[in-house]
Amino acid sequence: MAQSPAQEDDKVPIAYDVSGIALLYVEDEPDARNMVSRMLLMNYPKLTLYAAENGVAGLATYREHLPHIVVTDINMPVMDGIRMAREIKSTNPEALIIAVTAHSDTSYLMNAIDIGIHNYVLKPINYDELFRVIDKTLEQLLLKRLVQEQNQHISQSERQLADAQRIAHLGSWQWDLERGTMRWSEELFRICGSEPVPGSAPYQAFLERIHPDDRPVLGKAIREAVEGRRPLGAIFCRVVRPDGSIRVLRVEAEVVLDGAAQPVSVTGTCLDVTELKRAEEKVRSLTEDLERRVVQRTSLLQASLKELDSFSYVVSHDLRAPLARLEGFCRALLEDCGDCGNINCRIYAERAERVVRQIKSIIDAFNDLSHYARCKMVIEDLDLSELARTIIQGFQASEPQREVAVSIADHLPVRGDRSMLQIALEHLLGNAWKFTSKTHRARIELGCSGPEEAPVYFVRDNGAGFNMKYVSKLFKPFQTIHSPGEFTWNGTAIGLATVHSVILRHGGVIWAEGEVDKGATFYFTLEKHPEPGSFVRSV
Amino acid sequence: MKDRYILLIEDNADDAYLATRIIGKVCSDKVIVARDGEEAGDLLNKLAGDQAHHQITLVLLDLKLPKVSGIEILQSIRANPALRNLPVAILTSSDNDLDQETCRELGVLDYIYKPMTADRLQRVLARDKDA
Repeated sequence: MAQSPAQEDDKVPIAYDVSGIALLYVEDEPDARNMVSRMLLMNYPKLTLYAAENGVAGLATYREHLPHIVVTDINMPVMDGIRMAREIKSTNPEALIIAVTAHSDTSYLMNAIDIGIHNYVLKPINYDELFRVIDKTLEQLLLKRLVQEQNQHISQSERQLADAQRIAHLGSWQWDLERGTMRWSEELFRICGSEPVPGSAPYQAFLERIHPDDRPVLGKAIREAVEGRRPLGAIFCRVVRPDGSIRVLRVEAEVVLDGAAQPVSVTGTCLDVTELKRAEEKVRSLTEDLERRVVQRTSLLQASLKELDSFSYVVSHDLRAPLARLEGFCRALLEDCGDCGNINCRIYAERAERVVRQIKSIIDAFNDLSHYARCKMVIEDLDLSELARTIIQGFQASEPQREVAVSIADHLPVRGDRSMLQIALEHLLGNAWKFTSKTHRARIELGCSGPEEAPVYFVRDNGAGFNMKYVSKLFKPFQTIHSPGEFTWNGTAIGLATVHSVILRHGGVIWAEGEVDKGATFYFTLEKHPEPGSFVRSV
Repeated sequence: MKDRYILLIEDNADDAYLATRIIGKVCSDKVIVARDGEEAGDLLNKLAGDQAHHQITLVLLDLKLPKVSGIEILQSIRANPALRNLPVAILTSSDNDLDQETCRELGVLDYIYKPMTADRLQRVLARDKDA
């Protein structure tokens, strides 16, 4: 307990930071009390010092301020140092007490040791000795504080780790290979549906928590990781809770090796991914549901397409054969009865032949319409301007006498099916050409407006135009808003329906504006990257 | 002097009438009409079996026939050594019926859209002569 002062003489005193440390000095002799107090404050200027004149006063001060160190005289009136020390120790067993004693107090000292007084200094006080003892006590105190702080840090870290594990639903474990025991983190217990239990359990107990179907796989994987001295990649397995419910875990582990590269333990984690798996399952089932619905809708669509197919077959084939027959008889009539006395014979035969030609062009247009609504699309980079110029040149060549001011915007790059966009432009420009046939200073324009990322193309003319109240009929097949004979009859009134279907298949929309005798403008958009099977996204 | 025949294989009576009328305008060959593959087969075998007296100048074949299709008739003609070199022209009212690839492989002389005109038939016959 006590050390010889001589041994420590050459030791450089350590400057302890005593700020915040309080010392109670109890001494009944006023002179000694004042003197020692002054010396203490000189040596430890930052020390908080309390002084008391006997055991009772000392105990009261102690209870009030709870100083870290108590330096006390032994032999004092009212309450001696030993009794006071005992009282203090009963309040705080950790209290650090230094006794200041005369040789004659030896009998007390035996008591002091029992009580747990830390150290003693002999009277008369040698200050070096006193400071050495106080330094030693301070050192103990500060070390204790340091340990306490470290412990606090550790328990705080442990708490944080536990919190983090709890929040993340991440349990961890260590398997001691030598002992065969396993330590679980609190969260691992919770994941497995149990109350945390301190200590360790056999590795087998861990495996037994795993679903019987998954147990062999996990056991084998861990065994192989240990044998191969390599990490265990993510393995999914189920754990069965005591209440029978099942959680899905993502297990990962690493093998810890000793200096001789021998496996000593395995550290692993178990992440509870049940909710994630459930969400995945839900997404999967929703996707399946969606796919099933798509298949259903597609088959409905295919059924109606098939119906349309057979319908167009009827139109294109079964109608054509009798029509050809009719045409044949009309010609026979013209050839054989052309010179018949009755003039009506010839007129009727001629008219009947014209009707046949009309029906034929309707069938052709109808075939076009159903073809372009369903044909396979070959998507390539195209220039609408180029297509339009070629078309207009064709019109000009067929009617060179017409003077039409044609304006085609330069370079209108699009992606689409060449033949489909060609037929659409042929119809749009063809209409413009046709409906400006009676217009003085006819003008036809192909241009582009709107933002660069969503261009709107338009074909504009200053021809016959149309009344906006019929606009809804424009794109419907077999509906015409011009009387036959009003303009050169093109046979069908299917052209714009075909255009509509081509634009739809390019993921675009089409609309028109017009005014009678002022002209018409047809606007359309095209999807930037049309799919071969694309349909309009929103109408 | 051999009898010259044009064999018209056509199931529809109106079409057969119209075609016969046009043939009559263009040449003096006799017209024999077969209404289906069986009749066509019988007639072909009979005429081909008596090549001393009969000559088939042209077969006009409708593709859409009951029982045996026009293509099948054509295949059996080409498979028969006695008939292999017969000039055959296809009569059709619609592109849909035409399997041009197969027809070309089977050595079709020409295609005639219904109703057949005198001009068209004349050109076909002229082509046959050239060939």
